[in-house]
Amino acid sequence: MTVVIEAQGLERSFGDLKAVAGIDLAVEEGEVFGFLGPNGAGKSTAVRMFTTLLRPTGGMARVAGFDVVSQAAEVRKNIGVALQDAAIDPLMTGNELVRLQAVLHGIARPEAKKRGGELLERVGLTAAADRRVGTYSGGMRRRLDLALSLIHEPHVLFLDEPTTGLDPTSRLALWEEVRRLNQDQGTTVFLTTQYLEEADELAGRIAIIDEGRLVREGTPAELKASVGAPTLRIDIDPEHVDQAQSVLSRFGIDRPARNGRVAVGLDGGVAKVAEVVQSLESAGVEVLHLELDAPSLDDVFAEATGRRLEGATQHHE
Amino acid sequence: MTMNELSASTRVAWAVCIRGMQRIRARPVLIIPTVIMPVVLVVSFSGSFSSLTRIDGYGTDNIYNWMAPYAALQGAVFAGIGGVGSVADDIENGFFDRLLLTPGSHSALLVGTVGYSALRAFLPTTAVLLISLLIGGLTIPGGLLGLITLYLAAASMAMVFCLTGLVIVYKLKSHRSLMLVQVLAFGALFISVGQVPLSFMQGWLHTAARLNPVSNVLELARQGFLGQVAWQTTWPGLVALAAMITVTGFFARRGLYRLTP
Repeated sequence: MTVVIEAQGLERSFGDLKAVAGIDLAVEEGEVFGFLGPNGAGKSTAVRMFTTLLRPTGGMARVAGFDVVSQAAEVRKNIGVALQDAAIDPLMTGNELVRLQAVLHGIARPEAKKRGGELLERVGLTAAADRRVGTYSGGMRRRLDLALSLIHEPHVLFLDEPTTGLDPTSRLALWEEVRRLNQDQGTTVFLTTQYLEEADELAGRIAIIDEGRLVREGTPAELKASVGAPTLRIDIDPEHVDQAQSVLSRFGIDRPARNGRVAVGLDGGVAKVAEVVQSLESAGVEVLHLELDAPSLDDVFAEATGRRLEGATQHHE
Repeated sequence: MTMNELSASTRVAWAVCIRGMQRIRARPVLIIPTVIMPVVLVVSFSGSFSSLTRIDGYGTDNIYNWMAPYAALQGAVFAGIGGVGSVADDIENGFFDRLLLTPGSHSALLVGTVGYSALRAFLPTTAVLLISLLIGGLTIPGGLLGLITLYLAAASMAMVFCLTGLVIVYKLKSHRSLMLVQVLAFGALFISVGQVPLSFMQGWLHTAARLNPVSNVLELARQGFLGQVAWQTTWPGLVALAAMITVTGFFARRGLYRLTP
């Protein structure tokens, strides 16, 4: 397979801060590649370098076979980009924006009209095409953003946190569109997200970034398998956390958890749950609630960084 | 640059220019202050100082013939700065990134913005002339050529201050930074022959107004309202405009290309 996104030692510093601290990755043609990490991990900075909007301060990156610095115009011809927060002029209508986007990519007017109409229909915005974008909902703006990024039929599509702030229905609709693009047209998709579920649902391969460094990379199944044991999460009285952790350390590796909860990678899985409960009660720790989860990407992230993703914490709660 | 690339860049520049007009249509308030302000200036100043032109040296006995070109140029300058306002908005809300993702020449974005600013300048210029004609009995002894000279000067001044604004906005990336351009604009307009003839000024003000290229542009713009259009008044204004556009254009382009690889 052809590598369409490649980075070697890619760096970006802002003064003393290294937002991206030397990442290496290779994304093959036709993949949906998930770039997972918490806020401030360096995801958007990396995307801005791949899309030629930001000059790297070290290393190199190539997209669609072109260097992002010395062949930036060629890179831009081959990529579609939907940046974080759907950067769309609220004073323009959907149709006006589609036409402008077509001109920016050198598409002749008749072709632009045809493609624009098809894309707006595809993302369900035909009826709203003559309305000012300022009147659109968040989901509609995201879908328009996606349509704009596809007007020139790019080989590689960069989606920077495409569903942040969307309601569940809009999120599912966008996921469906991304799948369709990848499966029907073979578009390579580079997707950054802070949502584990999104990465798990869409990405064939995932890289986890934290503090500017890649800490894990692989398919979701590989990453989860690397964690091993399922996670047992137990709610207890916060005063008994130390005692509980002492007991749990006999059953597996301690895993990060929020206050009032302890977690362990449970060697032996479900067969050991009763024994854990008995041991905790013997130690005077009352179990308020427990759940046993198969390894998740959150566990992968936790194991790699010692922390849990914000979205994941909410999910488990 | 090949013919195809030039054609594509022209289309991008035109699209950016048209987009500005679409924004005005969507929100007319974007242009209203630019039109109202010079009209207020010409009406209030001409009303308050209507007797000034009785003094020899103005070249006219109608204060509107003296003030209207000045007010029109002031409107044009703020039309230019207003054109940069949309770029500042784009930078702040992220839309500018979408424009920068065009595979074509980024200079087309700059040319489009400058063209949009020049077009904006036609509105305050026309408004000032109409109001001055209706309430002040404005005359144009220089005829059509005098009128063309004024519009040329107005459009060019809008371009100069649009480019000046772009230099600052590309660097500071915020709408608030346009305050700096407004200060520059007021300075350039007030320390010039806008309100009184050069011969009326003394000391440092005389020297500054004489050296200020905006004075040459004002004389270019005003000549058709004081008499016939003459080459000896025209060429210094054209040279001043060309020099200002070249210098500000160079720095604006450099600022734009520093934004991306």
